[in-house]
Amino acid sequence: MTLTAERVSMAFGGLVALDDVTLTVPDRRIVGLIGPNGAGKTTLFNCLTGLYAPTGGRVLLDGRPLAADPAEAMGNGVSRTFQNIRLFPGMSALDNVLVGRHTRIRQGLLSALLHGPGFRRSEAAAIERARTELAFVGLRPEGGTPARSLPYGDQRRLEIARALAGDPAVLMLDEPTAGMNGQETTAMRTLIGAIRDRGIAVVVIEHDTKFIFSLCDHVHVLVRGRMLADGPPGTVRADPRVIEAYLGTT
Amino acid sequence: MTQVTTRPPEVRPVSDRRTWRPVAGAVVVLAGALLPWASVVLPAGAYPDLATLQFFDAPYLVTGFRLHLVLLGLAAALLPRARRSVGIGVLIIALVHTGFLIGYGALSIGGPVALVGGALVVWSGRALPAPELKLPGRAVAWLALLAAFAALLWLVTQTLTAGGQSRATNSYGAAEFLAFCGFGLALIGSLSAYGILTWLAALTERHRLFAFTVMLACALMLPLTEAGTGYWMTVAATIGIYAATATGLNIVVGLAGLLDLGYVAFLGLGAFTAANLAHTLPFPLAALAGAAAAGVFGVVVGAPTLRVRGDYLAIVTLAFGEIFFRAAQNNIGGLTGGANSIPGIPQITMFGQDFNEPLGALPAGFLYYVVAVLMVAGAVAVLLNLKSSRMGRAWRAIKEDEDVARAMGVRTGRAKILAFLVGAMLAGLAGAVFAHKMGTVGYESFDFSESVTLLAAVVLGGMGTVPGAIVGASLLFVLPEKLREFSDYRLMLFGLALILIMRFRPQGLVSS
Repeated sequence: MTLTAERVSMAFGGLVALDDVTLTVPDRRIVGLIGPNGAGKTTLFNCLTGLYAPTGGRVLLDGRPLAADPAEAMGNGVSRTFQNIRLFPGMSALDNVLVGRHTRIRQGLLSALLHGPGFRRSEAAAIERARTELAFVGLRPEGGTPARSLPYGDQRRLEIARALAGDPAVLMLDEPTAGMNGQETTAMRTLIGAIRDRGIAVVVIEHDTKFIFSLCDHVHVLVRGRMLADGPPGTVRADPRVIEAYLGTT
Repeated sequence: MTQVTTRPPEVRPVSDRRTWRPVAGAVVVLAGALLPWASVVLPAGAYPDLATLQFFDAPYLVTGFRLHLVLLGLAAALLPRARRSVGIGVLIIALVHTGFLIGYGALSIGGPVALVGGALVVWSGRALPAPELKLPGRAVAWLALLAAFAALLWLVTQTLTAGGQSRATNSYGAAEFLAFCGFGLALIGSLSAYGILTWLAALTERHRLFAFTVMLACALMLPLTEAGTGYWMTVAATIGIYAATATGLNIVVGLAGLLDLGYVAFLGLGAFTAANLAHTLPFPLAALAGAAAAGVFGVVVGAPTLRVRGDYLAIVTLAFGEIFFRAAQNNIGGLTGGANSIPGIPQITMFGQDFNEPLGALPAGFLYYVVAVLMVAGAVAVLLNLKSSRMGRAWRAIKEDEDVARAMGVRTGRAKILAFLVGAMLAGLAGAVFAHKMGTVGYESFDFSESVTLLAAVVLGGMGTVPGAIVGASLLFVLPEKLREFSDYRLMLFGLALILIMRFRPQGLVSS
């Protein structure tokens, strides 16, 4: 499944956050998105996941336009994590992941009221799947701990498990290694590789350029709302405009 | 093979100097309990429980609150973890009776001594983390649950009947009731300090169906206890109606986090609908109609409020409650009777049995009590089943972070309307029973203070928890019944209680 932002612009009143940005996420690839603070990376994420309706351009999923509705995006297989961890703090880890599976669970209100056999089957299957995702990201599959009591690194993993539970075709990670030490960053790199190997395309926003250039198949550089450059890591790293605007010469 | 056992380091008291305090406290409490409390026989009769000098006639007869003080004194000596709750219990009992006796001008030595003892016990108590108890096998668990719910039934009966029916028969009723509340609080606090409440909650969770059945059976056994008179059945049925309503509100506020300040309007809608249909439809249909009418209005209120959150939502719901109240007051469409209210609503009659008449040896009002219990059970089942479903999780997610819930694919608008719908329907159903039971429905029953009381019940009891709303509703609707002499201060006392709860136990009396 290919997710495309086609000439997307996003203006908040007079402030133009995104200006004519095009980005393609090919199937089963890891795409990096880098750029200085305030370049519009998270705004682009919000457009791609339906939280914002772009003021110009379109978001396409396999060539079909995607409505600006998060539920629609999630249902069509675009899920995400957040830059500042945003879990449901009072809910257990397992319940967090189950909310991530919301769009995939089929339960009528009446069957939920009565807890009939159909409901119990669907609930058991959902819990089974949620536990699998918890184990996949390296958390305890019981998931009984409230999200707010988990250590920082585990909270980041839990967000990823929650996003994965929605059966995404494209997973968007907003600074997944922010605040992590070297060891945790390596583990995150392995995890993102494993997600790609499951057949899921991954878009990563990061400031850690070493991390991005060693991980991604394709890198986009966003500067002040415009797509400055894109291409394979080697090309982008050598691009003089990128060096001047973002990487620096040292 | 050698067995290596690691023993935890010996736990020693922090300081041996402090051990005199609990012992001294316990001794003083016991002394206080055994001393006379009232100095003279008052015009309204001797102070209850031989608390007047008459106790010299039969010093071995320690009853009522003095017996409770003796028990608490012993607990303070023997149960170190329970000391804090026990001390607070002693203080409440002593304060209440001392206060009343000062009011009558008949205070004797017992009260002040017990106060000192209670303070000593509280001072000596330290807050220790409750021990974690292991979960037993099925047989033990079932026995424990049976015992626990039997004890709960006893506690409910005692609380309900404490202090007698009314001021007319017992002028010391309010003091006796409040003091008993102190004793109950100390009991529950002690159990909690030893981790027994948590343990019982875990057992209930594990053996859900069994616990639910036993609880229902215990509730239905209330008429066979001391509380089995027509008067108490009526009080209990009223509590049940409000408990069911509060449970519905718990879905809206506790689960979905939608602050609703006009919720009592749905109770009113159900009541007026049933009242208007009572002469034409049998009760079950009238009740369904009441629930449906309330549900429709739930959606009507829910839909325009989707764009507002938090405080703004509260204001909109407040306005809705007020619109309903004014409309009912002005007899809109001739449906509410206005200031005359709707009188003469027939009692529920099924199988030739009028629900207000005694059934065999069972007291009058017993059947309404059964209806109320079944309604509460139904509301609890709805809350529990929805809570552990896709929609329940979506509601909790919305409460925690609405934007992220949306980003996770929850259609928040639909989910919120659904919460309003379910909550309103439960209230509507309760309203229909209310109308039939009361026989008269007037707009005054549905004013803003009722909404506040319901909300207070949910917050006080513990948001989102099942026992929470029921405990809260019971307390807030029993207290005015018990403390009629304080009825002018009702709202002030609620406010005070809420402030205290928010300060000392923000998660509510029953936390999840």
